[in-house]
Amino acid sequence: MLAELINPYYLQVASFILINIILGVSIYITLSTGQLSLANAGFMGIGAYTSALLTLNFDLPIIVGILAGTLLAGVFGILIGIPTLRLQGVYLAIVTLGFGEVIRVIFVNWESMTKGAVGLSGIPHMGRELLNTLKDFGFDPKILGLQNNQFVFLAIFLILLGVTISIIAFFRRQNRSRVGRAFAAIKLDEKAAESMGINITYYKVLAFAQGALVAGFAGALFAHVLAYISPADFAYHRAVEILIFAVFGGSEVIWGPVFGALFLTVMPEVLRFISEYRYMIYGLIIIIMMAVRPQGLIDVNILNWVKLKTPKRRQKHGTSSQKSI
Amino acid sequence: MRKQLKKFAQFTALSSLLVLSACGGNQAAGDEDGESSGGAVKADIGVISYISGPGAAYGEAITNGLKLAQEEINGKGEVEINLVIEDSAGKQDQALTAAQKLMNSENVTAIIGPTLSTEMNVVGPEADLNGVPIMGTSTTAEGIPQIGDYVFRNSLPEALAIPAALDKAIEKYDAKKVAILYGNDDVFTKSGFDTMKKAAEEKGLEILTIETFQKGQSDYNAQLTKIKGLKPDLILASALYNEGAVIMDQARKMGIDVPFVGGNGFNSPEVINIAGDAANGLIVATPWYGEKEDDKVKEFVGKFEEEYGKKPDQFAAQAYDALYIMAEALKNAGEADRDALRDALAEVKGFNGILGEFSFDEEGDVVMDPTVLVIEGGAFKEFN
Repeated sequence: MLAELINPYYLQVASFILINIILGVSIYITLSTGQLSLANAGFMGIGAYTSALLTLNFDLPIIVGILAGTLLAGVFGILIGIPTLRLQGVYLAIVTLGFGEVIRVIFVNWESMTKGAVGLSGIPHMGRELLNTLKDFGFDPKILGLQNNQFVFLAIFLILLGVTISIIAFFRRQNRSRVGRAFAAIKLDEKAAESMGINITYYKVLAFAQGALVAGFAGALFAHVLAYISPADFAYHRAVEILIFAVFGGSEVIWGPVFGALFLTVMPEVLRFISEYRYMIYGLIIIIMMAVRPQGLIDVNILNWVKLKTPKRRQKHGTSSQKSI
Repeated sequence: MRKQLKKFAQFTALSSLLVLSACGGNQAAGDEDGESSGGAVKADIGVISYISGPGAAYGEAITNGLKLAQEEINGKGEVEINLVIEDSAGKQDQALTAAQKLMNSENVTAIIGPTLSTEMNVVGPEADLNGVPIMGTSTTAEGIPQIGDYVFRNSLPEALAIPAALDKAIEKYDAKKVAILYGNDDVFTKSGFDTMKKAAEEKGLEILTIETFQKGQSDYNAQLTKIKGLKPDLILASALYNEGAVIMDQARKMGIDVPFVGGNGFNSPEVINIAGDAANGLIVATPWYGEKEDDKVKEFVGKFEEEYGKKPDQFAAQAYDALYIMAEALKNAGEADRDALRDALAEVKGFNGILGEFSFDEEGDVVMDPTVLVIEGGAFKEFN
């Protein structure tokens, strides 16, 4: 019975949703200090290419590749974060967009390493590798009553689900911590925050690096789920797509970009039945949304309303102060 | 606030309705495929095509070609094909989810598509693992059928087209020195260039220079001036038609009058529309020549024009032949079984379609003789 419920198609869509949610979180982190960064597609590319190249050329385990890709993207985040500290708003957006393009052009031109525009194929697939490893230990998915490909996609989905939940939990926790408060203070008024004794340089670079780290992580996952990457995957279209997750869902609370990524990834799939018109409807939905709710679908008010409607739980310390922001 | 909430609620209700209705549609299809009733082999064939987005023209041509072939094949009564068409929007992840839907929710017997080689790089391995035969009709990059046993194509790869065009050009113009010009930020033109370079080296041509350009570039004077100074006998250009036409225009204005040899992307009537007389002297190899003196070709062009109001291009022609090849294999397999169909496809030899005589080699790649065309006096003509 379990086997009939598990359709790789739905799991595949769900996997892309989860990766997009991680990307949405990455842009939310930088936005939570009031910095608009469009470099996330570039960081994603760094993560994806690093992991793919390491696993392809040196036969490293996927997990090592993913960690290396994530860390390298984080390092780049710090390197870009420091010099761009003085920039704000549109200027920062332009510089970071430029950075993303530079990364893409490097991937295109560094042909000996990245195979240029043709892209890297045959990247180890997360689920298939896992299946092969488990098979070496004598495990067979048939024990669970599953086909091989059902097991592969179920494994990917569960891994991504676990990872995504941990990431969201971590950043929700961080929001309520000293770091999160500092981020919020900087977002509201940098000068005031500084006069309160918050080290602006540290926190802004921290947010930037965290964003880069998470984007790089998503990129590395992307490479091992799709098993093929090319520079065109990390062009500015991707940067804008990630930004839309936050703009559509709302960037005030972490659930905004999460919902944005979920909704905007599901929509083209749901609209498949109208085939060539689906992207028109997709565009129309975004326009209507922006006209009706420019602050994004999910904001603090909506969350409070949801909380009121759901059975009341024990009030935790510090949640009340969050509402007033 | 309250008003907004109401709108939000309405919107949520609407979108969840959409979700429900979409889910409902999935179950009905593909219940009894594979049953042969009354002699005809019934099969669902999935199609992944680039229907929305900047490359939608390709998808339109391909689906039109397929639909025309489907109508004719079903009319004959030996095979009954039901096409399940999905859009990929030219993106790898969309192509992959479309493929998953076709393979797992619609239970198709085989897949035709996707449109781009990049998409095939993602979809091919997955289809191969699931044991679903998949045939590209427009994927020309290297290494596509080598993905696996279940991956085929009937689109003329660059590795066949470019050497064929080059051979004829060398023969006619007694060329020894060539210059190469290519777009390095596009999969299509880059892999075309790799083939060109290899072909030129194999034929012992002296490569004077290799110049690159980017997508959307409008001024090629720097590259062309250098090429002009080196005086090549031929210019090999791996470009898509929109950039390629501008390159030819600027080259002719500069006084470069040597012939150009192009790849598959350069092969479009649009070159003549954009560059006008400057397009004369472009040599391309193509699987499809619409003016061919052949009854099948004439019939196809006539029917296509009647149905869709325009002349079929190579994408429509390749898709049309692809479905015929599929039907032929289905007929030979005798049932809509994925493995039986794969074996039958691999055995297709000497199939006579509108593209000429066609066979698969042992890897599932194309064996056929391309037609070499040249633009003369503002029209494509056969090059001899």
